[in-house]
Amino acid sequence: MKELDVRGLSCPMPLMHTKKALEDGTREMLVLADSGTAKANVVALLADAGFTVTVEDVGVEYRITAVRD
Amino acid sequence: MRKRRVVGPTAWILGGSGLFIGAVAAWLVGQGNPGNMGLCIACFLRDITGFFVGGITNQGAVAYIRPEIIGIILGAMGAALVTREFRPRGGSAPLIRFVLGFIFMSGALIFLGCTVRAWLRLGGGDLTAIWGVLGIVAGVLLGIVALKRGFNLGRARAIARPVGWILPAFAVVLLVFALIATFGTKPEFATQTMEGAFATGDTPAAVFLKTDGEPSQVLKPEGGSRAEDGSIVAEDGSVAASAESVAAAKPQPGGKRAVLWVSLIAGLAIGVVAQRSRFCTIGGIRDAILVRRYDLLFGVIGLLIGSTIVNLLLGQYDLGFANQPVAHNDALGSFAAMTVATFAAMLLGGCPFRQVIMGSEGDSDSTTAVAGMLVGAGFMHWAGLASSAKGLAPNAWLAMGVMALVLVAVALFGARKTA
Repeated sequence: MKELDVRGLSCPMPLMHTKKALEDGTREMLVLADSGTAKANVVALLADAGFTVTVEDVGVEYRITAVRD
Repeated sequence: MRKRRVVGPTAWILGGSGLFIGAVAAWLVGQGNPGNMGLCIACFLRDITGFFVGGITNQGAVAYIRPEIIGIILGAMGAALVTREFRPRGGSAPLIRFVLGFIFMSGALIFLGCTVRAWLRLGGGDLTAIWGVLGIVAGVLLGIVALKRGFNLGRARAIARPVGWILPAFAVVLLVFALIATFGTKPEFATQTMEGAFATGDTPAAVFLKTDGEPSQVLKPEGGSRAEDGSIVAEDGSVAASAESVAAAKPQPGGKRAVLWVSLIAGLAIGVVAQRSRFCTIGGIRDAILVRRYDLLFGVIGLLIGSTIVNLLLGQYDLGFANQPVAHNDALGSFAAMTVATFAAMLLGGCPFRQVIMGSEGDSDSTTAVAGMLVGAGFMHWAGLASSAKGLAPNAWLAMGVMALVLVAVALFGARKTA
């Protein structure tokens, strides 16, 4: 599974990094984000790309897991 | 890569939020706020600076604690707390963010409005705002060039919890002062524009209150009075303002305001909606060009439509270039000022509205940017660089040149790898 850490990054870097990570056709991803905005943007982008997204709030960060067939 | 959807379900949330914010902003004008200034982050922060230091910074016409700002901060804070998104964080180049906030404000005060008000001016029929909106696009493009080169101010980290509460605490302090100044007596040190005050275009301006459309009480010069012929004369008998300039006097922006509770509640609602939707006035254009996502763009489209509709309904819509409220008609100046302001906002990672919202969620870097805006506002008025309805100040171009150089330097030296 591909892992991406966008914690602490200002807009639009979480989106830029996520979009770049998708370019190789990856089917499973784990993204770590720590702000509500980064979480919402990354989730929306992954959902738009056809992923099934689950978000786990572990207190200091969000663990965003995305899978597609 | 499989084909990606470019407009997702959040587009409707953002469009609806923009519509709501635009409609409320236009309605606030009907409630007493200045023309096409139902909501303006730059102008309102500037007015707050005026309240505290207006005596030093020559901000007599623009001094008032705008309750909208208090409401926005507390509303966004509440929404963030409820959704467990209030997370104290910071440490991403705070000093540079302060400078960027300062420059953002400087550009906005040369244009006469922030990236929110640029759209609201257009929504009120003010066609001079087109130059500002073009400047927003240009600023976004410059920011994209910087981002593509790897511009990054570094990662923020979790910080000591109390630091995340600075902006909400500031809002509470503002609320206390606003209540004292409105319902009690204004503190001695503070400046507050008299409600409904008019000022002439003279230097120094004569300021007076109107009753039934006629000048009644003369506020400035002190001890001045209205002569038979309609002019205003000073205590020593010299003419402070001719009858023509008294007739042509305009309301001071700081003296135009909705009732405190109306502003506060409207601000609270806007704060909640903006925090939940992540509404941003520059991010829409940025995301559309940079990552081909269009959801955020629906926010500003909604803002424009919402304000246009309510302005039309309330009879406030005035289509044209001439005599627009709190605006000047310097096309090149407006374009350049908004390019500078938006470029600064792009380097910050969001428009000033977003900076206020994120500061309310515990982001101390955004709070630092807001502090830069407050200080920048005081500086621009103190240095006589802020524009007026007559146009740009004499040294405004020089100031913009210096700010542009600083932005280019920040963009060039702020490139680093994070991935």
